[in-house]
Amino acid sequence: MTAIYRREMQGYFHTAVGYVYMGVFLAISSVMFYALNLRERSSDLLAFIGYMSYLWMLLSPVLTMRLLAEERRTRTDQLLLTSPVSLPGVILGKYLAAVSVMLLTLLCTGCYVLIVALYGRVYPGELAAGYLGFALQGCAFLAMDLFVSGLCRSPVTAAIAAFGANLAMWMLDLLAAAAPGWLAAVLEFISLYARNEPFLMGQLSFASIVYDLSFAAAFLALGVFTLHARRVK
Amino acid sequence: MIELRQVTKKYGPLEALHEVSFTAPRGQITGLLGVNGAGKTTALNILTGYFPPTAGQVLVDGMDMLTDSARCKRQIGFLPEKPPIYDEMTVREYLTFASRLREVEARSIPAHVREIIGLCGLEEAADRTLGRLSKGYRQRAGFAQALCGAPPVLVLDEPTVGLDPRQVAEIRELMRRLGEKHTIIFSSHLLSEVQQLCSRVVILHHGRVLREANLGDMMEDGGALRLRVSIALGESRLLPALRSLPCVRRVKTLPTQDAAVTEAVLECDAAQDPQTQLFHLLAAMDAPLRLLYPERDSLEDVFLRATEEG
Repeated sequence: MTAIYRREMQGYFHTAVGYVYMGVFLAISSVMFYALNLRERSSDLLAFIGYMSYLWMLLSPVLTMRLLAEERRTRTDQLLLTSPVSLPGVILGKYLAAVSVMLLTLLCTGCYVLIVALYGRVYPGELAAGYLGFALQGCAFLAMDLFVSGLCRSPVTAAIAAFGANLAMWMLDLLAAAAPGWLAAVLEFISLYARNEPFLMGQLSFASIVYDLSFAAAFLALGVFTLHARRVK
Repeated sequence: MIELRQVTKKYGPLEALHEVSFTAPRGQITGLLGVNGAGKTTALNILTGYFPPTAGQVLVDGMDMLTDSARCKRQIGFLPEKPPIYDEMTVREYLTFASRLREVEARSIPAHVREIIGLCGLEEAADRTLGRLSKGYRQRAGFAQALCGAPPVLVLDEPTVGLDPRQVAEIRELMRRLGEKHTIIFSSHLLSEVQQLCSRVVILHHGRVLREANLGDMMEDGGALRLRVSIALGESRLLPALRSLPCVRRVKTLPTQDAAVTEAVLECDAAQDPQTQLFHLLAAMDAPLRLLYPERDSLEDVFLRATEEG
């Protein structure tokens, strides 16, 4: 698993993928930070994080599209699957690499916090809860998009399909508003955005933490199952 | 060392392999021969654990690939038909990655990679990215990857396909050298290549094993001995006499310019000492023997006969 993690990290930064992801993320986030905090002279970073959470929908596929689809297209999966590494090891190695790049990018947004701390007031507890929810939501999206990558034969298809899945996840909130009572409850329960709301209010929600982690674990397990099923077919 | 037992593989309704069984003994080079679509690649993919069979077993040193997958895979280095290489990596990075995958101890990886680079003649390309290398170098890098972790068994799927004659010769030489220490199984549809390198041959056709034998045994298949003769006697007198010999199964005459000379190939039963019977017959007929030598089947003859019968 470590070997695969290291290779994927190398892959992100030997190609443009890692730089494009970080560059676009930080460019958009800096525009948002300017619009929401600097221009408005606001120290409310939770609102900033709330808007930023829509970025996962757009950018998470950039990190995951190659992970399994590219291996399948170039047949390099033969190297991985004939090595002593287990299928969960393959999936986990790739997933953790994607999560690492995401966390590294989040770390860079720490400079916004520093700027606010210099000129205003930061509430560390609330901010930590906001960042935790943001990161967990990112982990959940990455797991789902990694699973989608395992279903596709080319990275481009994987990116488009993952974007579609992310969009569907966002639309759950809209559907919930229009759905009858019990269905709305189910949709809100599933929605990653609804799950993120307590964090955006500075609350530490264990239910949301467990949900986000379970969501990620379920899609990783599905990813393993997909690889296994394709081999047996 | 490696054994396929009654292996069947189905892709939906299509049966790619049907109850295939063969063994690759330790320390030998085994060639898997077959026309395109015979099932060679499927057999090798199953043998290396890339995917499992629909039915049957793969045994590596007595361990079952399905139940003891990681231990079995540690024993096998695999070069697929298309080398599994990452274009953005350098050769050295790629081999380092392959060594990590194969659980080589971190401290010894640099030396291990250097040794493999030397063995495969990749020194010049070691720090160049794989995406910029020629096909020959990429094939060699794929080959080198199979050596990472020093597996005792090498499985090579058409290792020389698409290479120029010089590269083919280099890869074959490398295989010959590695064959001294490793058990090698490789697939090919080049009969000359198999004949040059292998001590054991398995012929696959339409997903079934038609023949499995040591190369020498396969060439002398069926206890038949073919004798090429040239005898100073006309065909009209000689042929009935030759056909009357108990050891002779078939006589095939060859064109000749001299009517007083018969050129022929006698297909004989090797167990009946055909040379002695022939000597006595010709002595009795006072027919001088001008030429006599045993003619062996080429692997091509064996392969064509087997696939036609199959």
